[in-house]
Amino acid sequence: MAIWFYAPFFIVGLYSFDMININRQIVFTPSLVHYSRVLSWTGAMGIFLRSLYFAGVTVLLCLLIGYPVAYYISFKIKKYKDLFIILFIIPFWVSFLLRTYAMMSILDERSFLNTLLTSLGLIDSPIKIMYTDAAVILVMVYDYLVMMVLPLYANLEKLDKTLLEAASTLGAGPVRTFLKVTLPLSMPGILAGFLLVFIPTVGEFVIPELVGGPNNYMVGNLIYEFFMGARHWWIGSALSMLFIAFILSLVIAYVRKIGERGLAF
Amino acid sequence: MKGTTPFLKIFTILVFLFLYSPIIVMVVFSFNESKSIGVFTNFSFRWYEKVINNPEVWKALFNSFWVGAVVTIVSLVLGLMMAMAVTRYSFSGKSILESLILIPVIIPEIAEALSLLIMYIFLNIPLGPVTVIIGHIAFDVSFVTIVMRARMAGYDKSIEEAARTLGANEFQTFFRITLPTLYPAILAAGLLAFTLSFDDLIKTLFTTGPGFKTLPLIVWSSAARGGVSPELNSLSSFALSISFLFAVFRLRAERRLER
Repeated sequence: MAIWFYAPFFIVGLYSFDMININRQIVFTPSLVHYSRVLSWTGAMGIFLRSLYFAGVTVLLCLLIGYPVAYYISFKIKKYKDLFIILFIIPFWVSFLLRTYAMMSILDERSFLNTLLTSLGLIDSPIKIMYTDAAVILVMVYDYLVMMVLPLYANLEKLDKTLLEAASTLGAGPVRTFLKVTLPLSMPGILAGFLLVFIPTVGEFVIPELVGGPNNYMVGNLIYEFFMGARHWWIGSALSMLFIAFILSLVIAYVRKIGERGLAF
Repeated sequence: MKGTTPFLKIFTILVFLFLYSPIIVMVVFSFNESKSIGVFTNFSFRWYEKVINNPEVWKALFNSFWVGAVVTIVSLVLGLMMAMAVTRYSFSGKSILESLILIPVIIPEIAEALSLLIMYIFLNIPLGPVTVIIGHIAFDVSFVTIVMRARMAGYDKSIEEAARTLGANEFQTFFRITLPTLYPAILAAGLLAFTLSFDDLIKTLFTTGPGFKTLPLIVWSSAARGGVSPELNSLSSFALSISFLFAVFRLRAERRLER
């Protein structure tokens, strides 16, 4: 049954090794020509690096925004903790596409937010953020923040709070306690959040398509262009295979480090 | 860190504001009388009327529901079987099978969707509802299996043995003991599978044939074509309320599981 899921990738694999010709016949003359074309093409490399950069910035922002929130709910809220977490999750019940659209509805030049800020005199002219790198990253943060906060929160909840008391009894100040005790102990949560945000964002297709322009394209859009635009399935396949291999190697590195328990979402 | 508490509180409130305001603005402006998406003039159901009177929307909604239902049922049956196989029996290649189940969750959806499309074209399979359903199932089975496996880990097998000792045959044991005991997990996994299928855009977009549209496809094509509009606001708010309803069901099912 698992084979059924992998059948499409088997066919894409055949295409990537040039083993299917233009008449859709299988030929047994494997070649790496499409891989070498992808790897030697600087344009593809540039888009790949941009995807890494977008996903990296998104992870960083999610961590900077998400850590204080997870910390606050876990450490400072005594009653109604569950209520706070549910209130945090509710916006993520809305489907991914609708969340993206909702963001478009306030980032638009003609949007309520822009009219409000202009009429308050805070800005002179509407913010033109749509179709920029910033828009793509902002919407990615909005869409994937929950993937950072939930593992962080779960991690902070499990953290043995007597250790923090011990640190302060032994004379560590609050900053020192945080840097030397809390932060290192929450590393598993940070790593899990990193993976859960980085993987879907680096392969993002919908967000750059809707709020970005051709200058903000990511790997997902490039793969799409090869398959649907240029109809060059061989290059598209080689690109897909390389990208999947990259993602899988990230996950394998993570599992090696944390152990398989880290994958039990 | 006593001194930082007020800062953390304000920061958290701002983050909640950031999360809620786009959705609230979208819903509020779906009730706007004017065509503007920046100035609220008057309350009106005008755009909802337009959405409700659009037969394409109803057709897409109907498609989303029946595709979701078929996907849920098939994914549950297959996922239950896989979860039982990996939790109850040991066989060679089990750990490989377990990783094979996890991988679909990790692979970028765009690569997955385009690979499916290439396979359909290669095998000359005409695109339509069937290809959409097959694509959804291939992916949802993994999620169902992961949820079921986690729940089955703590499953007490002795009640099945008791049933067998008391003279129940294998089918009776499965339908009267195993299934009812696993019911909360099945419900939670089923609602998850339905939501995943109902909200799916990318796989549906690339594996559908001419004329077969689901609700996310309509939202996508109008958002990609015309950007933000009051009509799309109301369609999205309408779709949002459905997603929401299912999320509430799912939460209640999960709560039940925890007890």
